[in-house]
Amino acid sequence: MKNVRIVFSKTGRAKYVSHLDLVRTMSRAVRRAGIPLWYTEGFNRHPYLTFAAPLSLGYEGLRETMDLRLEEDMPYDRLVERLNEVLPEGLTAVSAAEAVCKAGQLFAAEYRITLYCSAEAVRAALALPELPVEKKTKKKTTKTVDLKPYFANATVKETGETAVMTVTLPSGGADNINPGLFVTALSGILGSEIRVDVLRLRLLQADGTEFL
Amino acid sequence: MKQKLENLFLQVQKPARYTGGELNSVTKDPDQVAVRFAFCFPDLYEVGMSHLGMKILYSQFNNEPDVWCERVFAPDTDMEQLMRENEIPLYGLESRDPIRTFDFIGFTLQYELSFTGILNMLDLAGVPLRAADRTEQHPLVVAGGPCACNPEPLTDFVDIFFLGEGEEVDLEVINLYKEHKQKGYNKKAFLRACADIEGVYVPSLYDVSYKEDGTIAAITPLDGVEPVVRKRIIKDLDTCYYPESFVVPYTDIVFDRAQSEIFRGCIRGCRFCQAGFIYRPVREKSVDTIDRQSHDLCRNTGYEEFSLSSLSTSDYTKLEELLDRLLDWAEQEHTNISLPSLRVDGFSEELANRLNVLRRAGLTFAPEAGTQRLRDAINKNLTEDEILDTVTKAFKGGWTAVKLYFMLGLPTETMEDIEGIAGLGQKVVNAFYTNPDKPKGKGVTVSMSTSCFVPKPFTPFQWEPQDTLEQLREKQQHLVSSIHTKKISLSYHDAKTSFLEAVLARGDRRLCAVLEAGNKRGFNLDSWSEHFDFDAWMAVFEECGVDPTFYANRRRPYDEILPWDHLDYGVTKAFLINESKLAHEATTTPNCRQACSGCGAACWKEGVCVEKR
Ligand code: SF4
Ligand code: SF4
Repeated sequence: MKNVRIVFSKTGRAKYVSHLDLVRTMSRAVRRAGIPLWYTEGFNRHPYLTFAAPLSLGYEGLRETMDLRLEEDMPYDRLVERLNEVLPEGLTAVSAAEAVCKAGQLFAAEYRITLYCSAEAVRAALALPELPVEKKTKKKTTKTVDLKPYFANATVKETGETAVMTVTLPSGGADNINPGLFVTALSGILGSEIRVDVLRLRLLQADGTEFL
Repeated sequence: MKQKLENLFLQVQKPARYTGGELNSVTKDPDQVAVRFAFCFPDLYEVGMSHLGMKILYSQFNNEPDVWCERVFAPDTDMEQLMRENEIPLYGLESRDPIRTFDFIGFTLQYELSFTGILNMLDLAGVPLRAADRTEQHPLVVAGGPCACNPEPLTDFVDIFFLGEGEEVDLEVINLYKEHKQKGYNKKAFLRACADIEGVYVPSLYDVSYKEDGTIAAITPLDGVEPVVRKRIIKDLDTCYYPESFVVPYTDIVFDRAQSEIFRGCIRGCRFCQAGFIYRPVREKSVDTIDRQSHDLCRNTGYEEFSLSSLSTSDYTKLEELLDRLLDWAEQEHTNISLPSLRVDGFSEELANRLNVLRRAGLTFAPEAGTQRLRDAINKNLTEDEILDTVTKAFKGGWTAVKLYFMLGLPTETMEDIEGIAGLGQKVVNAFYTNPDKPKGKGVTVSMSTSCFVPKPFTPFQWEPQDTLEQLREKQQHLVSSIHTKKISLSYHDAKTSFLEAVLARGDRRLCAVLEAGNKRGFNLDSWSEHFDFDAWMAVFEECGVDPTFYANRRRPYDEILPWDHLDYGVTKAFLINESKLAHEATTTPNCRQACSGCGAACWKEGVCVEKR
């Protein structure tokens, strides 16, 4: 029994697949691929399949991860090949390897955020002394957080009609910042709803190396 | 338009219903195909995607290299509002092209209450509702499915109806269309040519006239077409097309699993049941075919569950052999088999255990009526003793919940029959408490659910009046007051939707105006309670000068011309009249395996009609 970590991308039409639906979709894909999955024991047997960090509906991801437990060995490149033969449009397996990091080692995620407004407006927002925004807590209440420190590492580039921001935000651990919060704050400042495309580039450990 | 559409997806609930691109969905190059077909299911994605008939035809059409069939479902309210605000017309999920540019728009008619959904979808597509207003520039609107056996309330809107099973006739029409397109397509000439294909009903080629009293005077064929249109059946299910894969949705749907059809038709002939008559005769698939098709489907979809589909699973002649074969690989591959419409009795103990029959089927019975007399009248062959025997055994095995289904308002029903429903529930409760082996320290729950009887075309009850709303309400109240235990929970279906269903099921062409007026008022998907507005319906009937009780609550004489008399489903009127008389004498009719009752379906010389008894 071995845990395999699959790196995959979720783009295009697949970005509208919710996390719950992704779990179901992947589990069926793995069955179609004829990958020898390990099933839990007991009355309601199900395969072992987990994801490091759910991706919000509407976001794309280039290097998402999914862990599988296999009943017998299968060469990693064969696994990737088989999966790609059966995955629907927008989902692609990139690589497979033995899981190195423990789930708890996930610390942050790097994003590329395309905002449909001027780079100036984005820079101006980032230069404000604070960037307060309402955030939902686990207990279904809201609290105000200041985004300013989290976005201190952001870089902004102008590309035609849009501003492209690259930023690393805490993810997975006790602290979790969704890039959508910045869009909410910015829309509030500009007084209009800003359209946005979010792409999660990769998942990171605390030391800045990739979560693999 | 496509960018505008993308922007809507994140503003609506469950966008995966509108994006397309699911596994096994088919995309083709629009320039390389001759015919584009929009297969529309007039209900939400999660309902339509569960439907086996649509899956079969979708695959089959796309199996033709020059045909591209796409799926279309009714958008939910939030999406529809955004589409209208942003002027996005109804589109095919695969290409996201507007379906008004397609060659065919096809609807499946599964229940009468979806008729308003059809008109709303045409409107959302930007296609004129009335067939007469559509020219060569517009798509042809076609429809099939069980409600096509009386499609008269839709005749103003639909160009072509397919009667019976679609696998062959649909493609014949598509092929004829290709021919006509090559030599210069003229809608009128095409429709006339279609009418010569068996199973094709072109309503504009029949004229209906009415008598003073509102009943039909005559149905007259025009332009030399056959006076009667006969439904189509597939003769050999083993050689008939069956998909090797299904589209696997991302989002959760009602039946999210693979489905294998095991036979068509039903041997039983319960007199209220339209499916029991219009799908005759019973034709089975062989064990080999079902085994192969089920395994292929599971492999190609990755589904962890598949179900055997039919009207009455227990009537498959080789059920044990089949399940043995299926379990051989299903157990190994961690695939579950589900068995809907299964009678829980009559299994060998070994197989019952291996299958865990009860866990799959639940302790569910549909006696439909409360007394043996009424069950005989409706030809429902299920006795009280059978039910009590089975529940007693199940209680020993630790079961504590039973579900019972009944109908109110059946022909010949009296208050005694209503009391019988409560009585049967009480006997099940008693069977639990008098059982020495009952589960310790637990109580029993008996859930009884009642619907209202709706008389349907092509059944022996097609002449019967439906109980009025007052009568039904009275019966519901009488039932409530006849129940004297808290162990029984009772739920009943809204009588008002059943009334509307009864009007549409046996309606004629004068209802087209009502549906059109309803469309203007925004009627849509009446099977969803948040859409159904009874008072608005009554207002529309009044506005159109149509009396709905004429269709629902009137006893029709045997010699009246019925709106569907020019359609032939094999079962003869003489047989139905005889069955109707037997019902009033509370006399049962044997099922097709016990004896042939000469219903008329033997004209095809197939299936159970030619089996050795
Ligand atoms: S058993 Fe009776 S109710 Fe069920 S499908 Fe057959 S005829 Fe209809
Ligand atoms: S002809 Fe006889 S056997 Fe055939 S469907 Fe009718 S009653 Fe059944």
